[in-house]
Amino acid sequence: MTGAKDRMREKKMKNQPRNVTYTSSGRGTGRGQGSQACGWVRGHQPGGHSYSQDLPKYITASYFAKARAAEVNAMLKAVSKPAGSCHVFNALPKHMRRRAMSHNTKRLPSRLREGAQRLAERSHRAAEKEKKQLPRSRSRRARRRHGNLLLEFNRRQRKNKWLETHIWHAKRFHMQKTWSYCLPLKPTAKSFRASYRAMNTHALLQDLSYFCCLELQGSEEQMLRALARLTSKQTGPTFAAASCLSGARQGSVHLYKADQFPQGCLGPADFLWRPRVPDASDRQLWIWIHPDLKQDVLSELQLVCQCSESVSVSEESGPAVERPAGRKRKRDEDDAEQPSKRLLGDGTRPAGAPVRWQSPDTAITISDLTMEIVRYRLIGPLAHVVLTDTLQPASEEPCDAVSLHQQQTDVFQLLRGVCSTAELPAGCVLGLTVDDPRLTLPQKRGKSVPDLQQSAEDDRLRDLTLTGVAAHCSQSALWDTSARERVTHNRLSEQELNRMRSELLVPGSRLSADRQAAVPLLLVHQGGRVRGEERLHWGSGWDLLLPKGWGMAFWVPLVYRGVRVGGLHMSVKHSQFMGQPHFPQDYPDCPAGVRFQSEQEAELLEKFKRRPPSKRTNYIKHGCLAPFRCPWQQLTEEWEELVNLSTETASCCRTRASDFTVLRSLKALRRLSAWTRPPSRRNSSPLTHATAAALQQECGPSLLWVRLRLLGKGQPALHAMVCAPTTSDLQLLLQDPHSSGPQEPRHKDHLKHLRQHKTSPEEPARAVRGVFPAPLPSVLSHCSRLTLGWVTQGDFSLAAGCGEALAFISVSGLLHTILEQPQEQRGLVLLRNPSSLQYRFARISIDV
Amino acid sequence: MVRFKSRYLLCEVCVPDRSNLQLLEDRTIYNTLRAAVNRAHGDYGSALFNIGVIVKYLNAHTGVVLIRSRKKHYRLIWSALSFITCLENRGQKVQCFLNCLHVGGTIRTCQKFLVKYNRQQLHRMLPDCKTDAEKQEVRRAILSCSLSNVREEEAGEDGSDDDDGDKET
Repeated sequence: MTGAKDRMREKKMKNQPRNVTYTSSGRGTGRGQGSQACGWVRGHQPGGHSYSQDLPKYITASYFAKARAAEVNAMLKAVSKPAGSCHVFNALPKHMRRRAMSHNTKRLPSRLREGAQRLAERSHRAAEKEKKQLPRSRSRRARRRHGNLLLEFNRRQRKNKWLETHIWHAKRFHMQKTWSYCLPLKPTAKSFRASYRAMNTHALLQDLSYFCCLELQGSEEQMLRALARLTSKQTGPTFAAASCLSGARQGSVHLYKADQFPQGCLGPADFLWRPRVPDASDRQLWIWIHPDLKQDVLSELQLVCQCSESVSVSEESGPAVERPAGRKRKRDEDDAEQPSKRLLGDGTRPAGAPVRWQSPDTAITISDLTMEIVRYRLIGPLAHVVLTDTLQPASEEPCDAVSLHQQQTDVFQLLRGVCSTAELPAGCVLGLTVDDPRLTLPQKRGKSVPDLQQSAEDDRLRDLTLTGVAAHCSQSALWDTSARERVTHNRLSEQELNRMRSELLVPGSRLSADRQAAVPLLLVHQGGRVRGEERLHWGSGWDLLLPKGWGMAFWVPLVYRGVRVGGLHMSVKHSQFMGQPHFPQDYPDCPAGVRFQSEQEAELLEKFKRRPPSKRTNYIKHGCLAPFRCPWQQLTEEWEELVNLSTETASCCRTRASDFTVLRSLKALRRLSAWTRPPSRRNSSPLTHATAAALQQECGPSLLWVRLRLLGKGQPALHAMVCAPTTSDLQLLLQDPHSSGPQEPRHKDHLKHLRQHKTSPEEPARAVRGVFPAPLPSVLSHCSRLTLGWVTQGDFSLAAGCGEALAFISVSGLLHTILEQPQEQRGLVLLRNPSSLQYRFARISIDV
Repeated sequence: MVRFKSRYLLCEVCVPDRSNLQLLEDRTIYNTLRAAVNRAHGDYGSALFNIGVIVKYLNAHTGVVLIRSRKKHYRLIWSALSFITCLENRGQKVQCFLNCLHVGGTIRTCQKFLVKYNRQQLHRMLPDCKTDAEKQEVRRAILSCSLSNVREEEAGEDGSDDDDGDKET
């Protein structure tokens, strides 16, 4: 920069005369008087060398006169040239400058006009050049024409998939781009409590089409044999559960890597069998998984079913191109152009990517139906009322299966009489064929209310609530690919519908239904909270499965019935209130969970760093080792060591560092649940050291998912520490049931002075002030109470009316703790937030 | 808003013998002046000298010196000028005295005055010349510093300046 400054200065001072002395004769040849005088003085000696010795013996008047003349010239030059600005306009005296000289050069005197014109030209050329480099964008009107807008949307979907209801959501929700989808996160309006009320008393709607569906087709035994390797009976009913196998119920299962139970957990999945068709022997199975899991599960399935060859899909591109309009379009001049279609289905998949795999040995076909089926979830006790209001079974029966349709319609009508969605058994499935719900769209938005008149068929209602829907009523045409394609193809566009509406004789009357456009769908009941003892069946609802293309046609009528709409945030809260782990947050042993944890850690650290250093919480002083990421592996290892030391059993051969797992075996969970409750009734196996040790051997280093409920004040936060109380703490509680709990003494920040000294630049990863640097000290015994685990979801629970937290704790830690607690106070732990020093009492409950 | 106003003292160094002038340098003048101010006005004077005084221009052939000082204290410097009897440079002492020709507020005004003064001096030199060659030299010198010359130069350099200006923008 100083180079430029010097140059500027030189430019400005070039007219000023320099000192004229004899010793400057040797110096440079710049302009100005110096060199001229020197050259003049020496006369016959051009070029310079130091002159200080050789001086003229006498100085004549002529010499003096020349010196004077030279000086005069120099002065004149300095005076007449304006200092500094070489701008054309500054050469003019002030009284001749005009305002509009820049663009109208005629206002300048003629001697300066050329210079000004040259300047103007040059700036013009520069501006034109810049303009030409920008791409020419079309006018706003051209950009917003419907066809061009569709093309734009299709282009944007190549990177992140859009749900069918994307545009509706984008206007009302904050969107988040994850898992290669663009998903609604939270409404822009403040509506947490209203959404909770809707979940509690009315109905909440969510678009869950981002869940991936994998279809398996083949013979039953082959499929069951292959799938049995991916699951384990200990975690609950598997793919072969009797109720699910017939197709009457939806089941949920935990998937593991092939033959690696209990390690290698992949994540949860829901599955649905197609009801048995009497003639065919092949069965169809749909597995619904979270998009984060998809690649892992797909590779495992391929491995297990030995399907590595993909079936070429040449026929898929055909119908997309040659679908005739069937839709009335404005015939413009560009008739020959193919009218642009909205992209349906998976847009990020390149054209030739395989979607079907077939195995030659086991004759199983795996297909990837990622965006083929639209899934809406209604949560709440009045979800069935909303459904019965919105959907009308097809009035004109399709040619085949008359009786089946009639039966399904009957069941559907019965549904009206049910008081609450929770009355039905969890997971029951109903297939249905309905009319286009847009035909019966109400004029105004309203709220659907339950039908208070008791239905006459009490017996049938009771059967329904006790046994659920019969297996044959779960049949639906949605399972057939060809039926789905046909229905998608036959959909009436909005434009045609509006045209039909405008042609009605009586405005507002019902439009006549088209026989072709009867939509097959599946209604799947979701049981809410099935484990535990409090608030059973909270959060139950219905899932609506539709063929692709019909998303918005069903969404708008549903919204018009007064449901609230929720996003990802609400689904996390839904799992939280139900006490169930939410994927991928609460699955620390799955690869997707690990990925999520590292992303969350990065996010939280970033947020932490954003605050000014003096306003951050100093986690070191609070003794919180892991405010951003929970080191589960270290926790389980340390507990193992501690327990081995204390019991001194000969299990030192088991000190191999195995990865931790999450305990999901139902038997173990039941026993633990019985032990953590204060014994009000008899237990089959009372808690002793021996039984505890046996259980621990069985489980290995594992974590346990528990629900904590605070006894008094306090709101648990994310990554709060769950600690074991000492006997003095429990006595304190006995004496005073409303005591707030012990306090942790403040720790010293030993890194403070280290940081001040370590200012050398060779430390690339400088420790962030207030957070423990990477190799953590002993996680267990850092604070005054032993750490059992950490909270993954914690908040004030609107349903319970006090603070509730969902946490993972170490199994060995829990056993170690409850062994030492008196019977009445078993299951009490301490909870401490990362930014506080106060411990709060909480009670553990394990939901089975 | 608040300006540092300065005064420029245009002085001429008068020596009995012209040849002694050659060794003039701005540092010489500066040091001599400082010593003189110190002698005349003591510590206060030295401090003031330290702040705002600098020799801006020096012409050893004609003995013209341009000294700049602050407006508040130029009289102090001016008064010290008359106390200078000799200039010292590397051990050689030159007897001289400094004659203040003009006090200006800007360098430009001093330059304008210098132009006028020099022309006057040249005109005065003409009748004093002894030989014809000298007279011719003096006449040539007078002609060379006429305004038209300067104008021509200006025009010539204007073009080159414009080119430079164009190249740079």
